[in-house]
Amino acid sequence: MGRNFIYMLLFLGLLPVSASRAELFGAKEFYLDNGLRVIVAENHRAPIVKHMVWYKAGAADEVPGKGGSAHLLEHLMFRGTSRVPTNELNRLLEANGAESNAFTGQDMTAYHQLLDISRLELAMFLEADRMQNLNIRPDDFETERSIVFQERKERVDNNPLGSFREAINRALWQEHPYARPVTGVDAEIKNLKKEDLIEFYQRYYAPNNAVLVLAGDIDVPTARQLAEKYYGDIPTAKVIETEMPKLQPEFRATITMSKPDIRGGRVLVMFAAPSYQVESECVYGLQVLAAYMGGGETSKLYKKLVLEDKKALSVSVDYNPISRSYGQFVIAMIPADGVRPQELVKSFESAWNEAMSEFDIDELEKIRKKMLAGLVYLKDNPEDAAYIIGSMAVAGVSLDEIESQEEKLKAVRLSEVREAAEKLINSAPEVVGILQPLEKNGEKR
Amino acid sequence: MRAPRYRKNPARKWCVGLVLSAAVVWSVWNWGARVFALFSSDPQAIVENSVLKAKNFSTPVVEIISPKAKLKAYLLEDDTNPIISLNFSFKNAGYASDDEDEQGIAQMTAALLTEGAGDLDGQALKEALEGLAIKISFAAGKDDFSGSMLTTKANAKEAMKYLNLMLTSPRFDEVDINRVKAQMKEALKRQDEYPAKKLELEFIKELYGEHPYGRNPLGKIQDIDKISAVDLRRFVKDNFSQNNLIIGVAGDLNAEEAAEFIDGVFANLPSNGQINFVKEAEIDFDGRVRQIARDSGQNMVLKALPGVSRNHEDFYPLFVANYIWGGAGLTSKLSQQLREKEGLTYGVYSYLSIDDKSPLLVVAFSSTADKFNKADALLKEQTRIFRQQGVSKVELKNAKNYLIASYNLRFASIENIAEILTAMQKYNLGLDFLQKRNDYIANISLKKVNEAAQKYFDDSKMISVEIGKF
Repeated sequence: MGRNFIYMLLFLGLLPVSASRAELFGAKEFYLDNGLRVIVAENHRAPIVKHMVWYKAGAADEVPGKGGSAHLLEHLMFRGTSRVPTNELNRLLEANGAESNAFTGQDMTAYHQLLDISRLELAMFLEADRMQNLNIRPDDFETERSIVFQERKERVDNNPLGSFREAINRALWQEHPYARPVTGVDAEIKNLKKEDLIEFYQRYYAPNNAVLVLAGDIDVPTARQLAEKYYGDIPTAKVIETEMPKLQPEFRATITMSKPDIRGGRVLVMFAAPSYQVESECVYGLQVLAAYMGGGETSKLYKKLVLEDKKALSVSVDYNPISRSYGQFVIAMIPADGVRPQELVKSFESAWNEAMSEFDIDELEKIRKKMLAGLVYLKDNPEDAAYIIGSMAVAGVSLDEIESQEEKLKAVRLSEVREAAEKLINSAPEVVGILQPLEKNGEKR
Repeated sequence: MRAPRYRKNPARKWCVGLVLSAAVVWSVWNWGARVFALFSSDPQAIVENSVLKAKNFSTPVVEIISPKAKLKAYLLEDDTNPIISLNFSFKNAGYASDDEDEQGIAQMTAALLTEGAGDLDGQALKEALEGLAIKISFAAGKDDFSGSMLTTKANAKEAMKYLNLMLTSPRFDEVDINRVKAQMKEALKRQDEYPAKKLELEFIKELYGEHPYGRNPLGKIQDIDKISAVDLRRFVKDNFSQNNLIIGVAGDLNAEEAAEFIDGVFANLPSNGQINFVKEAEIDFDGRVRQIARDSGQNMVLKALPGVSRNHEDFYPLFVANYIWGGAGLTSKLSQQLREKEGLTYGVYSYLSIDDKSPLLVVAFSSTADKFNKADALLKEQTRIFRQQGVSKVELKNAKNYLIASYNLRFASIENIAEILTAMQKYNLGLDFLQKRNDYIANISLKKVNEAAQKYFDDSKMISVEIGKF
């Protein structure tokens, strides 16, 4: 519980290939009368199913100053309802062999169980129950607040990169809610009140603000029947969408952080990029660009910076277009021994420009082939299917769009990639983050 | 309510009245039933009454023998998707078997096997594999050197060819060796950045001292510097042979195809090698505590008690006892006390470590410095209570229910299945293990579990290594 939303690298290397199938998962969707969106991806290898409920409510929806409410609420969702008292949910799911957990991100909160198909109804009953009947007892609130405080200490304070990542986010996102950490900061966590959570719960936990995903050994008619049975009676709520502010284009900043516990430099170049919601016409061009530049060890930046110039020991590019607001385009590099991070940034810039000038139709076809190769693997594990479908759906991506990744990638033109790259470099807000060791005399290396 | 629309037609009024009253009766009954279901029945009844019944799920594993090299492998045929996964291990070729003055060679080999083979340099090889969606990777564990391959059925022949080439004709070009050395040395340097990593390294040092299990898994800088292409070739020749090889195959291929596939990958490997065997580790479990001072957000601890090997007669009772004590996640006794009741930690967990030369029972948690001692005392107290009182019938029943009902979850991916097939052979679990495993769990008696609790959960023997502010 409380695992932060870690974006799956679905568009790098993982994104598969299929010659015959146009649809990524062959999933079906329908809506209940109360607005609950249900998506079913069948996979009949084993008699198991992944059951996930994704709420379109995360840290970005918190009232400023109440950081950590979405996350603490996620924890308390395991602490009982007016019908299923404290700890019963965990006990029942355990006794039925379920792997149960949840995670909170900027855009969403998700609850999920992987379990034998014969136990699915129990999970649906429990999940539907806590969608409407949460009961937060004062003692549980205090204890769980201590636990999430410990969680922040473990994940952020005990990680040498924790404060670095948070500093980059603050610099890049500024007034945008993505600037705030999902866990909240220490003082916020300590000051959270039970009422803050109840307010958040009442505001956002409703069927019309959620997506139910079922992936595994279940057919659509049964899924529909059970979704109706357990979720059908939950009343709709009026949900006011959080407005996501616009960032100032062409914003540039460099953050340099020197820390005593750091033994070697890191460089992170991060852009607030187009997404399925913002300038969505760039999404597939940027996916190709990310794969071309930094998707694995045959990519251009790896070749230039690691193999040829020997300035870096590693380089990777991640592009995440799945977001309710801007996406993120991130280049992560580790400088070679003796290379200053600032020097690597310079090399990166010229390597990028060189790579752009070499980008032609042959390169495009080569990268496209790699991206399409292996799509069939994504269908293999129902957990992957549920995760990808749910994360995209809750961020407002249509099922059609999710399913037609192959087609969309096949349609990407050279000019599209070039234009998307130019726009990214010239106008997307950008932060260059440098993390380096703090030398004993206080000087920066 | 609307005014009655059928006042002028008594017959219809009556008719409507009947329908209405029937509806009221039905809805009251229905509502009553729901209320009954919600308040007076155990939600567990939902499972008993579910439209979704438990299914017979057959996972028939067959043993195949390759026609040419007579290599044995386990196969689970599954045509859900047109893909194939191969998993294999060279036993006793892991990093603990590295020569004393060559620490890091197994890891370096694992990193370099994907950097070129035969006529193909690293880039050419990777381009070829990526274009065909063939994924091949290698890893040097503590005991064994393992590999895995995922391919589409359509590209299986090419996958076989490339994997064979990587195992039999790795290039070990100077430029690649130098790059991998630089990456390994940098990774070694950076291990110190993470308190959790630092703790893990100090923990194995404390437990094993000079025994190879106490080594840094990434090797030693001065040894890494010295390793040459000649050494790497010798490592491959000595360690990659047919007689220390175990193989699992899963996916869309039949026994005959699988047997040919295995020959295609492994038939021209040498039949014998030159293995370094590691001796059993001897640990004095004397309850000692070592503290490492470090300015970090939380204090962290790793603790060890003696465990048992996979084939030991106490394995299953201990496995279940550990599950109840600290293995179960939020419902374990330790989680209930340290986390759910007291809020002292985000996570406390324990597991059985079954490395070949040193089975252990390990427990870990982290907590801010102001709460660490309280959490630690509670853990010890819980262990004493557990040892004295053991588990209850209900606790055992819940644990068995979980372990049995969750069993099918491990068949979610084809790669996982291939891995299970290799593990079944490594630990001699038998061809019918997947069919029998739930019976093994079901047949464990309360007496045996409580004997295991009594025998193994002795907090006075626990070795602890802690990092943080003390």
